[in-house]
Amino acid sequence: MSESLFTQLLDLACGAFLLAAVVVLWRRELAAIVRLFALQGLALAAIALLLGLHEDRWDLIVVAAGIGALRAGLLPYLIRRALATLVTDRAQGQDQAAYTHSEEVRETQPLVNVAASLLTAAALTLLAYAVARPLVELDPTPATRALPVGLAVVLIGFFVLVTRRRALAQVVGFLLLDNGITATAFLAASGVPLIVELGVSFDVLLAVLVLQLLTVRVREAFGTTDIDDLRELHD
Amino acid sequence: MNTVGYTAIVLQVGAVVAGAPLLTGLMRQTRARLEGRAGAGVLQPWRDVRKLLRKEPITPVGTGPAFRWAPPLLVATSLVLAVLVPLISTDTPVRGRADLIVVVSLLALGTLALALAGLDTGTAFGGMGASREMAIAALVEPTILMAVFALSIPAGSTNLPVIVAGAADQPARLTSPAGLLAIAALAVAVLAESGRLPVDNPATHLELTMVHEAMTLEYAGPDLALVEFGAQLRLTVLLGLLASLFAPWGIATGASLAAVLLALLLAVLKVAVLGMALAAAEVFWAKLRLFRVPELLAGSFLLALLAVTASYFLGGEGGQ
Amino acid sequence: MSLIPAALATATGLGVAGAAAGLVLPQRVRGAVVGVLTAGVGVAGGASGVAALGGSRWSAEVPGLLPLAGTHFAVDALSGLFMAVAGAVVAAVAVYGVGYVAGHGAHGLGSRGAQAVLPLFALSLLLVPAAASVSTFLLLWELMALTSLLLVLAEHRARPAVREAAVWYAVMTHLGLVLLLAGFMVYAAQAGGETFAALRSGSGAMSPAVRGLVFVLTAVAFSSKAGLVPLHAWLPRAHPEAPSAVSALMSAAMVNLGVYGLVRVGFDLLGGGPAWWWLLAMAMGGLSAVYGILQAAMASDLKRLLAYSTSENMGLVVLGVGAAGLFDHAGNKALAGLALAAALLHVVNHSAFKALLFCAAGSVLRATGERNLDLLGGLRARMPLTTGLFALGALGAVALPPGNGFISEWLLLQSMIHGLAVPGVTTAIVLPVAVAVIALSSGLAAAVFVKALGVGFFARPRAEGAAAARESPLLMLAGMGLLAALCAALALVPGLLGDGLDRAVEAVGYPGTRPVSGGGLQVRLDEVSAVLSPLWVVATLTVALGAVTATVRWAGRRRQRRTRARLWDCGGGAPTPRMAYTATSFAEPLQRVFDDVLAPEQDVDVTPVRESAYLVERVKFRNRVPDRIEHRLYRPVLDFLAAAGQSARRLAGGSVHAYLGYGFFGLVTLLVVLVVGW
Repeated sequence: MSESLFTQLLDLACGAFLLAAVVVLWRRELAAIVRLFALQGLALAAIALLLGLHEDRWDLIVVAAGIGALRAGLLPYLIRRALATLVTDRAQGQDQAAYTHSEEVRETQPLVNVAASLLTAAALTLLAYAVARPLVELDPTPATRALPVGLAVVLIGFFVLVTRRRALAQVVGFLLLDNGITATAFLAASGVPLIVELGVSFDVLLAVLVLQLLTVRVREAFGTTDIDDLRELHD
Repeated sequence: MNTVGYTAIVLQVGAVVAGAPLLTGLMRQTRARLEGRAGAGVLQPWRDVRKLLRKEPITPVGTGPAFRWAPPLLVATSLVLAVLVPLISTDTPVRGRADLIVVVSLLALGTLALALAGLDTGTAFGGMGASREMAIAALVEPTILMAVFALSIPAGSTNLPVIVAGAADQPARLTSPAGLLAIAALAVAVLAESGRLPVDNPATHLELTMVHEAMTLEYAGPDLALVEFGAQLRLTVLLGLLASLFAPWGIATGASLAAVLLALLLAVLKVAVLGMALAAAEVFWAKLRLFRVPELLAGSFLLALLAVTASYFLGGEGGQ
Repeated sequence: MSLIPAALATATGLGVAGAAAGLVLPQRVRGAVVGVLTAGVGVAGGASGVAALGGSRWSAEVPGLLPLAGTHFAVDALSGLFMAVAGAVVAAVAVYGVGYVAGHGAHGLGSRGAQAVLPLFALSLLLVPAAASVSTFLLLWELMALTSLLLVLAEHRARPAVREAAVWYAVMTHLGLVLLLAGFMVYAAQAGGETFAALRSGSGAMSPAVRGLVFVLTAVAFSSKAGLVPLHAWLPRAHPEAPSAVSALMSAAMVNLGVYGLVRVGFDLLGGGPAWWWLLAMAMGGLSAVYGILQAAMASDLKRLLAYSTSENMGLVVLGVGAAGLFDHAGNKALAGLALAAALLHVVNHSAFKALLFCAAGSVLRATGERNLDLLGGLRARMPLTTGLFALGALGAVALPPGNGFISEWLLLQSMIHGLAVPGVTTAIVLPVAVAVIALSSGLAAAVFVKALGVGFFARPRAEGAAAARESPLLMLAGMGLLAALCAALALVPGLLGDGLDRAVEAVGYPGTRPVSGGGLQVRLDEVSAVLSPLWVVATLTVALGAVTATVRWAGRRRQRRTRARLWDCGGGAPTPRMAYTATSFAEPLQRVFDDVLAPEQDVDVTPVRESAYLVERVKFRNRVPDRIEHRLYRPVLDFLAAAGQSARRLAGGSVHAYLGYGFFGLVTLLVVLVVGW
């Protein structure tokens, strides 16, 4: 693979990676958000794959395949199933079916409105670029030059975590954060050792399973997944 | 002074003028077919224009010069754009003057004229349309200028022929993240600027939703023909601009008549394909609520900003 | 060479003569004589400015005029630019003022006091840029502040709101003066001299901290004069309440001097500085641009709208000035010169169209007695010339071709866009944001002036005042005509400024980039050129317009006259003016979009019928968009001051002995401190 083609493809993958995070802020339907997350997983896998091919490291390619399977396949599947549970439960309940249906599967009222979220994302991206600048200048390769993208996704994921009300949207926010960290690791140092990556992946999987369970329980207890209602536990 | 350059301009303006209603007809026909209707035929907008032009001109009581002169001004700005935008050749006598910021501003001038005309009628609908249109236009402006900024970085200039010729030379510019983000941002801005779904529905006359149509409700006869024609011209020029910026292949860069003719053919094809794609997409889209439009534009603005930063930080070409 | 002193002396003589004439002449001829003399001041001052722009320089010392320091004057091209602008505005507005005063009789601007002060205000506007020492500068600056304050107060008998506005203006302008005084004192003490020449040569040896302190103090003071957020609070109060001719002078000539001060001190005297100075300036400029135009978009008061638009335009100018400083810091002198040229050109353009707009607003106010856009409308049939002139000014203000504002904003955008060539993270982050700010403010400006023109002048009158409006007298139209001609000239042939703009930029040490040479505007940097030829755009638009109308006429085969028809009324009778969109309703979508920023206050009072809570008798809706920065920033300070004042009242018991005792005690304490301390 030629150097310029590699740069081009890597930039493209990074662009898609960042774009997916941004569009998560844009969309309200949880189903669409999960789809975007899957897309981002693919982009992340592509980044790892490109780096692996470029540096001729087989372990990276294996990690890429693993990431693809986990983040574009399994995790979205799990979240989607949780979503489906919420919807079908509600449908069986038959109380104000249509109305709460739309309430549960949409992020109707984020704490910060969508337009402001998007502008914040713009500011966060600029911040990420500014912060990463000295790091990039240490060793300006195509991979490190894309480092701010990973950082920006970390920040955006955190922002989603802070401002979204639905528990599942928060799960996605958490996963965005994790994707960002993984991407940063790949871009900065061509990935962490295989065993660490495996450990992290299992961690994430476990976290999602727990969160999924928790979400369903929360909804059973409170009748909604709006986590602002958890405030009641305080008293 | 090159004759080929002048020929290119004449051909381009002729094609835009003749083709604008045809493009609208094509889009309506595509939409009709996709929705299972027979459709009125591609030529219908031309028939409408001809019919309207022959009707008697009517001035509503209580309107003034702004109402009277807005339609010709709208068409005139679109015509100037048709001269400036390099659709088929980058080597025309006006190439030095085809500045992207000027192009954007001329578009805004047409919008502004129509908004003033809407207010001039003193009816609730006219004011409503003007108010909404200006609110949208105010937000489109930063978006579109940021996209301009992103596009101008690799070329180092806001001059349109320079940007287009540069992109035709180095196709890699277009597939870079910056290029792709800029395409997306500009495409959204173009939808808003030309009043298409999901920002405005050109086929609606429902007071809750209409924007452009509300401003022009009082027009009839030849004035209405001009308003409709002006809107069609704008759409054509904007789609052409999009095509030139992001699919510049085949645009003539030298002074060869054959290349210009080929470019003309290709440009017509590109715009037709873009129009049909837009029409097909509109079948599946719903209009956004008016107060969701800022979200769309904020998104587009973000894309453009990302394009700017990406081209500065990722690319080695323009930045660094 | 000798033109500048001669012209300045003439201006001074005419100004003093005007003041005397205002004091002694009877009311019948007062307005005309003072107007002519003031116009003379403008012409003479403008001539000296033009001469300076043409390349001549002049400096002089008049030792006897002031005790201790003497007075120093120096005119270079930068001063010349501001003097030429002020002179042109003063001359045109003076002509306008003669007509304006004629109708009012001896009240307001026509009163003895106001007429005596007006020529002095005009004179001070022209002389401030010529000052070349701290004491001279501050003296003229204070003369300008005081005379303008008196003129703002001119109509205080007619409206109580004038007094409140004047108090705000007096307090803020003097706070500015205090800051300026402090800044210059530190500077002069460190530089070891108070002439500008001494300051210039002394700045190199100063420590960065002192330089920074001087810059911040003076920049804050100058930004308050330029009406930048957050020190803009006086502007939307004083400009609407002042007589319109005075508003025009203040908005088109006085606020410029804030920019002049910033450029003079920041670039010329201090010789540039670190990046954070200029980032501070850009932040204030950007904030003002967006916040000012947003408030203008919400305003229903025509003159308040124009005042906020001034805040916006000065913000854009300072954004350009800040960018110039940033480029200079990065070592790119050519770009710095370009950005500064763009900013200065915008000063010129803004003065031309804003003076015209304020004058036209004054004509409307005079003809209708109304500034509220909600109650205007229908003026285009009653005051066609004024409407046309306002439209011309508005075209300049919306920054679209073929208006004059477009040219300078285009240049500003070009300098920002090409500024990315300057390496560094700061520029890479600041410049895109700056471009977005310029674009957003120009987009909103379009909405603002469509509102002002469309709601205020078009459609049908919504109140009796507007229905009874009559066209303004000839002299007012003539004054506005001069300004309109200026706008048109700047819009079509910016090359008229010739090398003047370059010389002004060179005066502070940057190479001129010759952006306005000939009819086209050029940006030439490292083989990049961008060309804008306004004349060509106008010519093509005209040709296209002609072609369109000719085609329409030809296509409608039977030559038909235009028939008149009723507006579409849904079959329910002709629509009444009450159905038309008002300024408030026009601004509603934007208010909703920027809800989080503006935080409008809305009350709904529902009064039910006595018998049933479900039947509504009356619904009262109130919507107010307060100036939020003012609320958040000034209210606490004012409350604190009021509380402090209340507690201080205990000291004032009313006993004369106590008061004398305070003075005595103070004197003794001071002496004790002196004895002990020294």
